[in-house]
Amino acid sequence: MATTSEETSARNADGVREFEIDVRTQDVELNMGPQHPATHGVLRVLLRADGEILTGGQCHLGYLHRCAEKIGESVDYIQYLPYTDRYDYLAAMNNNLGYSLAVEKLLGVEVPVRGQYLRTIIAELNRIASHLVAVGTYGLDVGAFTPFFYALREREMILDLFEKICGARLTYSYIRPGGVMNDAPAGWLEGVDEFCDWMDSKWKEHWNLLIESKIFIERTAKVGVVTAEQAIDWGCTGPMLRGSGVDWDLRRDQPYLVYDRLDYQVIVGVGHRGTVGDCFDRTYVRMFEIVESVKMIRQCLAAIQDGEVCHPDVGLLLRPAPGEAYVGIENPRGELGHYIVSDGSKIAKRVRVRAPSFCNLAVIEDILPGCMLADAAAIIGATDIVIGETDR
Amino acid sequence: MGVLSNKFEDNVLTSRVDWLLNWARLSSIWPMTFGLACCAIEMMAVGAARFDIDRFGAGAFRATPRQADLMIVAGTVNFKMGERVKRLYDQMPSPKYVIAMGACATGGGPYFKYGYTVMKGVDRIIPVDVYVAGCPPRPEALLEGLMLLQEKIRRQKVLRTTKRPERLPAAPSIA
Amino acid sequence: MQAPARDTGWGPMQVHFEAARLAAAAFEAAGIAVQLHEPNLPVFAEEGESKRLAKKAKDGGEREWRGDSFLKLADRGQLLAAMRILRDDLGYEQVIDVTGVDYDAEDANLWGVYCLLSLRHKARLTVKVDVPKDDCWLDSIVSLYSAANWHERESSEFFGIVYRGHPDPRHVLLPDDWVGFPLRKDYEFPDEYHGISCN
Repeated sequence: MATTSEETSARNADGVREFEIDVRTQDVELNMGPQHPATHGVLRVLLRADGEILTGGQCHLGYLHRCAEKIGESVDYIQYLPYTDRYDYLAAMNNNLGYSLAVEKLLGVEVPVRGQYLRTIIAELNRIASHLVAVGTYGLDVGAFTPFFYALREREMILDLFEKICGARLTYSYIRPGGVMNDAPAGWLEGVDEFCDWMDSKWKEHWNLLIESKIFIERTAKVGVVTAEQAIDWGCTGPMLRGSGVDWDLRRDQPYLVYDRLDYQVIVGVGHRGTVGDCFDRTYVRMFEIVESVKMIRQCLAAIQDGEVCHPDVGLLLRPAPGEAYVGIENPRGELGHYIVSDGSKIAKRVRVRAPSFCNLAVIEDILPGCMLADAAAIIGATDIVIGETDR
Repeated sequence: MGVLSNKFEDNVLTSRVDWLLNWARLSSIWPMTFGLACCAIEMMAVGAARFDIDRFGAGAFRATPRQADLMIVAGTVNFKMGERVKRLYDQMPSPKYVIAMGACATGGGPYFKYGYTVMKGVDRIIPVDVYVAGCPPRPEALLEGLMLLQEKIRRQKVLRTTKRPERLPAAPSIA
Repeated sequence: MQAPARDTGWGPMQVHFEAARLAAAAFEAAGIAVQLHEPNLPVFAEEGESKRLAKKAKDGGEREWRGDSFLKLADRGQLLAAMRILRDDLGYEQVIDVTGVDYDAEDANLWGVYCLLSLRHKARLTVKVDVPKDDCWLDSIVSLYSAANWHERESSEFFGIVYRGHPDPRHVLLPDDWVGFPLRKDYEFPDEYHGISCN
């Protein structure tokens, strides 16, 4: 029954509204996930909505908790390497790298220069693959189906390159303590060069197809704004932090591998279509990081020399000296930290994984209240979480 | 098929009808969009252009269990999720099929020994039709699993009775 | 101690040593008892060096603590005050990680570990504090850093550390009715959960 404001309000003699019989509303609790296509896995978000406006959101994790940290202190150092592949399965090479760097820091092992260049090329290739999936599936979340197929076309080319160098498509264990598993096969570096040309020519296609589409801009611009203060306070890293306009990139600010010898730009969100820190900016950062990664790979290809790829002393049984080391690297999703405590035996005392998705996800509990219900999927998608990593 | 299922003896008519029904079922298996872990990424690759699961009539990924015939359990199931997997399976209409994709769904995989929350195989809570090996399986392996499932469906008896004919001796009991 | 001039590929370390020294001085000025650990840097392996090193470590010949430097608070009651100094005076804007370590089942203490990052000084700092296992609590730092919220929930369910003053102390990863603290060294794996066998 439609009621006018005259019927629901009573006025006194002066025409001032004295009280109002409000339309009774009730907050609706809405369960999103764990089986929901837009949560990128098995995340469950309990949304509370007043009509179309969200009044709260609570994340429930743990639907993919796989005990990675317990396993880290139960198996020896090299045996743990395959488990690092499996927490962020879209950027397994970067996980291998973070873990290997932490173990090397305890071992006191220096990786040969060719190994470092190979690692950099591989890590950047995997960043491109990961960002492609992030942008492609984000398109799915906001209602564009086709860009996903384009993104996976390019990703398959990267996976082909990985397959050639280590034999696996998804879980590589290629970067290992001491260096990399084996040298690049003949013609591989040329293949990478060809891929760079291909990616350069096709990038604009992705940009036009998804990012510049009017629907995409409408769905993402000015939606889910994370301010710089919020992002820092909630421990966001990676594209979440840079999308909010904070100029911070571990590759430049605490350089590891050979990043200090490369020339590239750190992409920061500028509010290209809306305000700084909205969902569009995060995607914008990811898209342009693909360009920068291609640039970095080109420079590595030009600089790489022949030589050893793995430290000759590092065998299969590692016994790092007693001590502790924290190494944080720039994963496609943010800072991936490994904190390893060793007592000098072949099994670590503690392997702590600081997962970027875990921290990036925490901030959405803060930004969901006040958003529209339909934007929840867009906001969760823009954080680009991998549940294997939030739950470990 | 409700009241008609498994009520008839083998003959030309019922076997032809069964053949037709099975052909219809196996040619349009609708899987549920249900990615759990790493294997889900390979499942996505199967759905994308290069491997193209649509060639086998199984490309219509449904987001709700009510419209799905096939549950591809793609990834590690832990106790917290196991409850949900069971509930989703119960919500699917019959006939329903399950593919356990990858080592984790088959038997715990690399998390068998130290994974305190990991369920050691999804077959502890729901029946599984096809197991696909690999960690994660290649997309081709998942496609093979799908083809095996289609073979299984082809041999199903829908109208025909599943009882043994009386003239055959009963199976020896293991007493 | 000088950071290695050689190209290690692990990132800069000198700046972290400096940061730890600065923080230790600031704590001392504020009357917070703190111990600065400056472990030896990893020895660079010449040919065959790392194997020899490993062997020595195995034989118990070489036992000094290696790796990163860290600060250890003497009194866990002063944690909040220390964190406030770090955030407000020394410019550590982000808490990157809050976790615990159970070094040995025989030990009487757990470690509470806080990894902080300063974006403006490009420095990292690790702060540690001992937590007795039989009186297992720490003060929650959520009022200072929101990022600690989920980390504290996680470390509380894994180690049984009670974070006093935490706004929402539910389990984050494990089921709500999970028994035991899995990352303690004396944790016994369950046999069954809700009727499903674990073996």
